[in-house]
Amino acid sequence: MNPFNKRAADLTRRQFFARNAMGLGVPALASLLPGSLSAGEGMTQLGGLRDLPHFPPKVKNVIYLLQNGAPPHVDMYDHKPQMEKWRGKELPESVHKNQRLSTMTAGKSKAVLPAFSKFKQYGECGAWLSGFLPHIGSVADEICFIKSMHTTQVNHAPAITFFLTGAELPGRPSMGAWATYGLGSETQELPGFVVMTSRDKEASCGQIFYDFYWGSGFLPTKYQGVKFRGNGNPVLYLSNPDGVSRDVRRGLLDDLKTLNQLKYDEFGDPEIATRIAQYEMAYRMQASVPDLTDFSTEPKHVLESYGPDVTRQGSFAYNCLMARRLVERGVRFVQCFHAGWDHHRNLSTQFKIQCTDTDQPSAALIKDLKQRGLLDDTLVIWGGEFGRTPFCQGDINDRKSLGRDHHPYVFTTWMAGGGIKRGTSYGESDDFAYNPAKDPVHVHDFQATIMHLLGIDHERLTYKFQGRRFRLTDIHGEVVKGILA
Amino acid sequence: MGKPAIAIILFILLADGAFAAEPVDFSRDVLPILSDNCLQCHGPDQKSREADLRLDEKDSTLRTKEPIVVPGQSGKSELFRRLITTDSDEVMPPADSPRKLTAQQIDVLKRWIDEGATWGKHWAFVAPKRPALPAVQKEDWVRNPIDRFVLARLQREKLSPSPMTRRETLIRRVTLDLTGLPPTPEEVAAFLADKSPGAYERVVDRLLKSSRFGERMVWDWLDAARYADTNGYQGDPTRTMYFWRDWVISALNGNMPFDQFTIEQLAGDLLANPSQDQLIATGFHRNHMINGEGGRIAEESRVDYVQDRVETTGTVWMGLTFNCCRCHDHKYDPFLQKEYYQISAYFNSVDETGRNDAGGLANPIIRLSSPKQKQQLQKLRTAEAEANKKRDEVIKQARTRLDDAKKVDADPQVVAAKKEAEAAKKKREGYERSFSRTMVMRDRAKPRDTFMLVRGAYNKYGDKVTHGVPATLPPLADGAPANRLALANWLVDPAHPLTARVTVNRFWQMFFGVGLVKTTENFGLQGDTPSHPQLLDWLATEFISPTVAQPSVKNSHADNAWNVKHMLRLIVTSATYRQSSIVKPALVERDPENRLLARGSRFRLPSWMIRDQALAASGLLVEKVGGPPVKGYQPTGIWEEATFGKIRYQQDKGEALYRRSLYQFWRRIVGPTIFFDVARRQTCEVKVARTNTPLHALVTLNDVTYVEAARALAQRILLTPDQSDAARIAEAFRRLTAREPKPLELAVFTGRLKTLREHYKNDPAAAKKLIAVGESKPDEELDATEVAAFTGITTIILNLDETITKE
Repeated sequence: MNPFNKRAADLTRRQFFARNAMGLGVPALASLLPGSLSAGEGMTQLGGLRDLPHFPPKVKNVIYLLQNGAPPHVDMYDHKPQMEKWRGKELPESVHKNQRLSTMTAGKSKAVLPAFSKFKQYGECGAWLSGFLPHIGSVADEICFIKSMHTTQVNHAPAITFFLTGAELPGRPSMGAWATYGLGSETQELPGFVVMTSRDKEASCGQIFYDFYWGSGFLPTKYQGVKFRGNGNPVLYLSNPDGVSRDVRRGLLDDLKTLNQLKYDEFGDPEIATRIAQYEMAYRMQASVPDLTDFSTEPKHVLESYGPDVTRQGSFAYNCLMARRLVERGVRFVQCFHAGWDHHRNLSTQFKIQCTDTDQPSAALIKDLKQRGLLDDTLVIWGGEFGRTPFCQGDINDRKSLGRDHHPYVFTTWMAGGGIKRGTSYGESDDFAYNPAKDPVHVHDFQATIMHLLGIDHERLTYKFQGRRFRLTDIHGEVVKGILA
Repeated sequence: MGKPAIAIILFILLADGAFAAEPVDFSRDVLPILSDNCLQCHGPDQKSREADLRLDEKDSTLRTKEPIVVPGQSGKSELFRRLITTDSDEVMPPADSPRKLTAQQIDVLKRWIDEGATWGKHWAFVAPKRPALPAVQKEDWVRNPIDRFVLARLQREKLSPSPMTRRETLIRRVTLDLTGLPPTPEEVAAFLADKSPGAYERVVDRLLKSSRFGERMVWDWLDAARYADTNGYQGDPTRTMYFWRDWVISALNGNMPFDQFTIEQLAGDLLANPSQDQLIATGFHRNHMINGEGGRIAEESRVDYVQDRVETTGTVWMGLTFNCCRCHDHKYDPFLQKEYYQISAYFNSVDETGRNDAGGLANPIIRLSSPKQKQQLQKLRTAEAEANKKRDEVIKQARTRLDDAKKVDADPQVVAAKKEAEAAKKKREGYERSFSRTMVMRDRAKPRDTFMLVRGAYNKYGDKVTHGVPATLPPLADGAPANRLALANWLVDPAHPLTARVTVNRFWQMFFGVGLVKTTENFGLQGDTPSHPQLLDWLATEFISPTVAQPSVKNSHADNAWNVKHMLRLIVTSATYRQSSIVKPALVERDPENRLLARGSRFRLPSWMIRDQALAASGLLVEKVGGPPVKGYQPTGIWEEATFGKIRYQQDKGEALYRRSLYQFWRRIVGPTIFFDVARRQTCEVKVARTNTPLHALVTLNDVTYVEAARALAQRILLTPDQSDAARIAEAFRRLTAREPKPLELAVFTGRLKTLREHYKNDPAAAKKLIAVGESKPDEELDATEVAAFTGITTIILNLDETITKE
């Protein structure tokens, strides 16, 4: 839609307000507001942009399980048995080409370190995965492994920011903000973009979860991710104060509504109508969020499928089950962060623990979604902000201190769900899993593909700010057709 | 679309575009269209320029060889033909680009060519000239020159201004605007009773003199300066920059001229014999985030900081988006990448390493001392010098007595003298260490060379550049030194086209919710055109050299130049400001955003002001200007979760809980949760969002601060002796809205009070629980049921749309 028509449509809506305001009760008026959110411009019933989706979407929802700290592709997904012959030997310069690395390993020796665990074949597709990933293996036939991901960022915060916003510096909208800005929200009782975080139990090498990871950047702040907290109330200030029952609150809100309506009748400011609607949604959230977090209705076998941590708020397993419950309730974009993968010198102790913590819940989520018929409408993404070096950081003969450094040049990410070519892998790395060898997928391509699955043309969903039309993929990105069903 | 739609289209043409009857104005009408649709490929950026054509420059656009524009003849102009052709290979913008001109825009370009294709410069890059005051029909409405411009525009649009708002609303509006706190019922009553001329102006002058003024005005400056109490990034260590924050408050309260305010913050250290305060002022450009991540390349961080300073300076003083030029020439504005790095040269020689090399802070820092402390330090220094002198003498003597160096060292007199000197040194050092430290600007003795950086990367050097300013803007003064002081002086030169405009526009935004230029952060070609260009220029020139006499707000300049309070007083005493904000349906339809100013602005208060208002109305507010930040109520676990338990939130006790919002400790990676729609304080922000979400309702309904304020307010009204329920409710209502409740409103409250009394009588435990929320003790003299029931009422009042809105 060109801006001129958009303005005209917008004015029509406003005209409607102005002309009908006095004749309608506010509650009726509020229900006419787009979605349940603030009165915005040129919006659909769901509160999305009127010209979206650009084409029929493959999925309605996204669950992004971001593995913060960077899991080692060599040890988990990228099977290179021939590296065993090179164990401890210096990685040939023809492979690493002296590409830039972090200051921790730059200029030091690069002794090849093959996969830490034995690989096995899983599923009918015969995917080779680490033996530490039996559960993900059990759903391998649902997954497409992208083995040729690469990025330009080598430090955690810029790399995660890059993955989520398309730029390495904070300030641009996160993917979930773009999605809810474009498509609106299907729920009136919960935010459209929800964020949850978890970390390894020992917190051995945690990374910080910056709020700009899920920020709305220059988009209106109502699109920023709402972070559900890992302890206490998942939504801040959700509980009524002590001594105020739900009935008392209802009574106060009834009066507030009446008084605000009087004000609206006098002043005619549409913001007052929105405010009334928002207080009502707050009241509904006070009921819907506790219902959301009440796992007592989950069958035992479902709870068990997520593993023993599922009832521990703030664990990865808990967040995976929450993710399913959120998309079930119409939440558009669920972003889970799990920190604990930054194994510079503790691969031998932490790697297996992280696999255990994440393997079962990730797989259970896919099975659970499938069983409920939600998988076809949902895209599940699993991956870190970069990979880890195929060579060793530290002394290769000292097993206790084995580790790998950050590696942006190639790594593996996987996707499952609607629109994805299941039981396949896409792209290849070279013999040392150091650089892409076939079909490289850049972060912007990955983002373009996610938008595509949601029915969004990544080049057309833009927002004008400081004189420039910004988009998630900056000025790059191509949809990776090869992973689409 | 039926008939009404046609009417709308006509309206848009009239309101936004060139007036059909009026000639096309290049800067206002043409340049924005070219900028939006053409300059991406035919603009300043040399690397992405197509067909060797620039549509932002006269010589290229109006070239006579193979002309693309033939003045006076759109039919012969290639530019126009390319816009209307149906040939998809030739049409511009290209068929596959997301850009497309509307019929109206094409018409503007056609008329511009037909009217002779007059060229001009983007309005914001030409210094403002004081416009003549327009003639208006309703002289009696005009209170000062601002109103002439607003009224002239309204009359052109066949609109009338709204009537003056109720006096109760007016005093509440101006008290919130100038002090961030509501008027007391006594202040309202006094104003209502004062029917003499100048009553309102006297209120304004009282507010401008209050120390609360600086505490209110500072907030927006803190946002712009990305002020916080921690460094950001991993570890997020605490810093002590509140000395700078207090400097700003005191500068604002003292009505420091804006040119001086600029110079001291950008280059106070380069003034002759700078005072400690002038050094503290330079903390402005040390407020950026500091990255202490392990494995981080220090030089990369240092370059980040330099770039942050360039971009912040661009946004705050000039409304320019220099950040675009970090990697390439600007796509729309006439700024080159080279010019970006020329400005960066001014900030590139700070004596810093890019590391956190000063114990949580980063050098350069200063240690702060009071005159008394300075005296004491001088004493200790003297004592140290004396001890050193004595030691040296004792050693000298010993050398004459003893022949062996080892014997000298072992000599008891020498040992004792050395010990004494060492002790004096330690004492002086220990004393100095007890002083507070804060980050400031200080340049290295030997300046760094500055290079262009390829795509902004810290280690990819391009050409070497020298200090300088963009060619589009006025030149530096003759013989200007290559330092920040020259840059600061250049910014406040009366010939600078941007500084005054950008600054008065921010003032306007603060009070009207939106600037005369809506894009406060961008005055470039892609920025919004001013709603009232002449008013903006009048305000800018009035800022630089005042003509209207307002003796109550003189500043220290003999000619009263750059007088901030003068400008604010002009705005709030204008008839424009005093209008009612009641929205007539026809008007909201015509001008939904109130750009024409035919009514007063009506918008939700900033969340920090909502908190301050609740504290003030309830009597909990503790007023104390300045000092270290305080930690108010916050749900448990916020910091812990963000930092993996490494940093615990230790809530303060007592008075600290009731200090104004600006003193709340601001952890950069997770700001105070009680605020919403606030700047993130990570990078410079000059415009804040105003959203309306359910999460905000949860804060003002459930946060301890608000529940406690509701209870304290309930107690406050219950303590007034011999009052009816209705009178008590009216008092609480007045404290928040400054007006009397209407009978219908009162009836709603008294009805609810009855229900709540009943409820809490039947459930005294609930009443006790409710009134125990917060750290201030409930008044034991008062009946718990009564306090709880009235707390319900005050909760409603604190959450009224009217309460959280400035009407």
